[in-house]
Amino acid sequence: MTSSALLALLTALASAALRAQSAVVYGTVHVESGGPLRFAQVVVMGSNLGTLTDSGGHYRLAPVSPGVVIVRARFIGYVPAFDTVSVAAGDSVEASFVLHPSVIDGLPLVVVGPVVVTAAKRSQLLDQAVTSVAVVSDTELARRAVSTVDEAVDKAPGVQFLNGQVNIRGSTGYVQGLGSRVLLLVDGVPANQGDRGGINWDLVPLEDVQRVEVVKGAGSSLYGSSAFGGVVNVITRDISVGWHGRVRASGGAYANPPYDVWRFRDYTGGREGLDVTGSYGTNLVRGSLTAGGWHSDGYREQDRQNHWQAAAKGVWAPGPATRITASGSWASDQYEVPLVWCTRGACDDRGLTYQPFKIATQDTGTFTRSDKGYLTALVERTSSDHLAWQARGSWLRTRFTDLRQGADDYGIANRLGAELRAVSRPTAGRVVTVGAELARSDVRTNIFTGDTSSTDTVVGTHTQAEFAAYGESEQLFGRARLTGGARVDYIAVDGGGLSAVVSPRLGGVLTTSRGAWRASLGRGFRAPSLAERFVSTTVPPFRVIPNPNLRPETAWSGELGNATRLSAALHADAAAFWTEAYDLIEPSVNGSAIQFRNVTRARLAGLDVALAAQPPIRGLTASLAYTFLYARALASDSAPGGPLAFRPKHLLTLSADYQWRAVSVGGDFRYASRFERVELYSNDDRVAEKVLDLRASLEQGPLSVRCRLANALNYIYNQVPRTLAPVRTLSVTLTWTY
Amino acid sequence: MTTRARGAAAMALAAALACNQGLEPALAPTSCPHGFVGVCGTVSFVGQVPESTAKVFVVAFDTFPRSQNDLFKFKPQLDPTILPLGGPPFFYTLQLPPGHYEWVLAVWQKQGPTLNATNADTLLRETGFYRDRGDTTRHGSGIVIVNAGTSTDSIDFVVDFTNMHRVCDYFRPCP
Repeated sequence: MTSSALLALLTALASAALRAQSAVVYGTVHVESGGPLRFAQVVVMGSNLGTLTDSGGHYRLAPVSPGVVIVRARFIGYVPAFDTVSVAAGDSVEASFVLHPSVIDGLPLVVVGPVVVTAAKRSQLLDQAVTSVAVVSDTELARRAVSTVDEAVDKAPGVQFLNGQVNIRGSTGYVQGLGSRVLLLVDGVPANQGDRGGINWDLVPLEDVQRVEVVKGAGSSLYGSSAFGGVVNVITRDISVGWHGRVRASGGAYANPPYDVWRFRDYTGGREGLDVTGSYGTNLVRGSLTAGGWHSDGYREQDRQNHWQAAAKGVWAPGPATRITASGSWASDQYEVPLVWCTRGACDDRGLTYQPFKIATQDTGTFTRSDKGYLTALVERTSSDHLAWQARGSWLRTRFTDLRQGADDYGIANRLGAELRAVSRPTAGRVVTVGAELARSDVRTNIFTGDTSSTDTVVGTHTQAEFAAYGESEQLFGRARLTGGARVDYIAVDGGGLSAVVSPRLGGVLTTSRGAWRASLGRGFRAPSLAERFVSTTVPPFRVIPNPNLRPETAWSGELGNATRLSAALHADAAAFWTEAYDLIEPSVNGSAIQFRNVTRARLAGLDVALAAQPPIRGLTASLAYTFLYARALASDSAPGGPLAFRPKHLLTLSADYQWRAVSVGGDFRYASRFERVELYSNDDRVAEKVLDLRASLEQGPLSVRCRLANALNYIYNQVPRTLAPVRTLSVTLTWTY
Repeated sequence: MTTRARGAAAMALAAALACNQGLEPALAPTSCPHGFVGVCGTVSFVGQVPESTAKVFVVAFDTFPRSQNDLFKFKPQLDPTILPLGGPPFFYTLQLPPGHYEWVLAVWQKQGPTLNATNADTLLRETGFYRDRGDTTRHGSGIVIVNAGTSTDSIDFVVDFTNMHRVCDYFRPCP
């Protein structure tokens, strides 16, 4: 017998074994009036499994992989319906649907989706989550024709990026990328930097991203440190069966300065990139590989960047109830650093107070090389229809070198993590999630050394270990779902004593005739990063000195929200939120020394409103998202009160898209009010953010062309002091999908 | 209001918000700006700027430094005014909190490693300071008063690249 014949036989045997252990989902689809619906489409989401109903409205889906699956039923003219079904090997489970017309009184209904989120460390429907969750789907990612994850998430309701630093409901402000109060997850694996606690948004190629979930409010009861103000979970694509490929080529140009007196080069800056993805899958094994890179001239002086990346993912399903996934990515950036823009006298200022497109002559040559990558392995198993568990290990590594006149800083950091989690459904309507998590971060550096001498040649190593256990239980009582849980984290720095933080959370969802009401109250915390504890450098004329005694910052965070359909064509989601923060870590200036200290007691409160409308024009959709934010530092013995820096009081996003056959056009308008307060250079001019992005696309078979005109009005502004925000940028992306 | 009218109103609102200009070129001042708190004046340049120059900036001390340790107690700490490297007379503004200042000076900084207390004597030079007319003492008596809510104009002085002084000139002996 040849080896290929042997392989074919083994494959056939494996397939037969899989079928024998798989499950069946069956049921009916009826219309609201009670009659059966023929030819309705019923699918298991995230798989290729689907069928149509017969004349009696019956359907049967098999083989369904055991575990928790989402089943969707839909038919033209009706609102799709979803159900979460837990199936065990060899089981048969019924899931029946009643579909409602999508047009009432002549007006189309707004359909909000997708509906599956993982905010609670398990799959659940969006309207069952006790906190606000914004989802950026793959459709939106493609439609926006963006290049990186942060560009895609930037327009999500209540989210604002400040020079790459994410804010959810004003959580972080801007601290030069240090100590993010938002936790980044890649497929549920924590991915904040081990040394600085910041986020590398280019860690995962956008090509590999299926969707992004933004969980708002404190999430430390499940996710621990850094989930102080929210969690961003980047979920990578599933790999389909068969051969698939995708090639994406992009090119673009940056607008020149709108005034001749600001011109800084005699050519138009460009940007070009290429990504290639290939994948192959069977029912047993699947794998994908992505590689690519891009170059940018930048939109200001000393702003060129090269980016290279590769990512891979492999899935092995040795049994119908077991799935093993290994994935990883690597990215390398070499970029010039524009630091701050040129002020009078610091460059050829042409008689102006400042030159926003130019840098100070003395900063010429500043350059950074940044490499980062992660590896993760995940084992998922559904042991029975009542119990599923998973175990994972991960390794995140970052390395940066800042090359500047007079001094070079570098840091090499690792973050090793492991987690064991179980999700149990002991009785109908009850879900219990428990788990334990370990993490160890280390850094070898000449800047986060903790050294207090004035020399900068010292190299140091520091470590931080975190041990955590958590549990959360959800119980269904009629139309109400109540959730309660807590997590305890132990943190040890450089092998020292453990300090403990307990983060409880209570929440609930009540389904009424006026929509789904949700409420939650929980605690968030963030352990200081190794950089904040041990930074030791000079930022002329200041000496930045370490503070190994920093304590974790903590917060109580609550929200009350409602998601409802206001009319046939208008869906609304609104939430009032309130956060009381304690011991916020902020840089504190004392004479010629800067030190991170637990100084600020703060209050962040406000209102989030998101409206999705489908006006009575076929193909047109529109949405509005508005956040009002009251962000105040409260007065204490050591610090005066006042507005928190870098938080806009008003944040508004208007979006509209129109689709006609294969062509679609659309746009976003973002308004962020002028910051009441900024750190550094507080007397500089500053304005509100008013940015209009336009887009258009054409899809024809396997080809699509997407055009994006970001900052179409070439509005010149800055969010961060003396750092020009992106100018008008035209980009064209051509994608071929096989 | 019909749905179409509401849509049109929303578009008009968005357009109105978007049409407002952002940052625009701001001409450098030629006199103390209205509402500015600090000192202003004109700096004249003498001599050729050294090739090893990193930058030249203006700062103020509220009391004349008594030791090398006092050298970093200048204001403003964060954002000293950068001067051009020579050329025609330059009108400068230096933002300062209200108070009494004994020394307003220009500091020349040499290219080199990151500045700190131990290399200040190597990297920094005093290259000109404000003094009362007619005062010929070594440090000069150039007391400047900044009142709350106002600026003090005509704090003029000369930056002389041919006559710069090391830190240790003021705190002898020089190594």
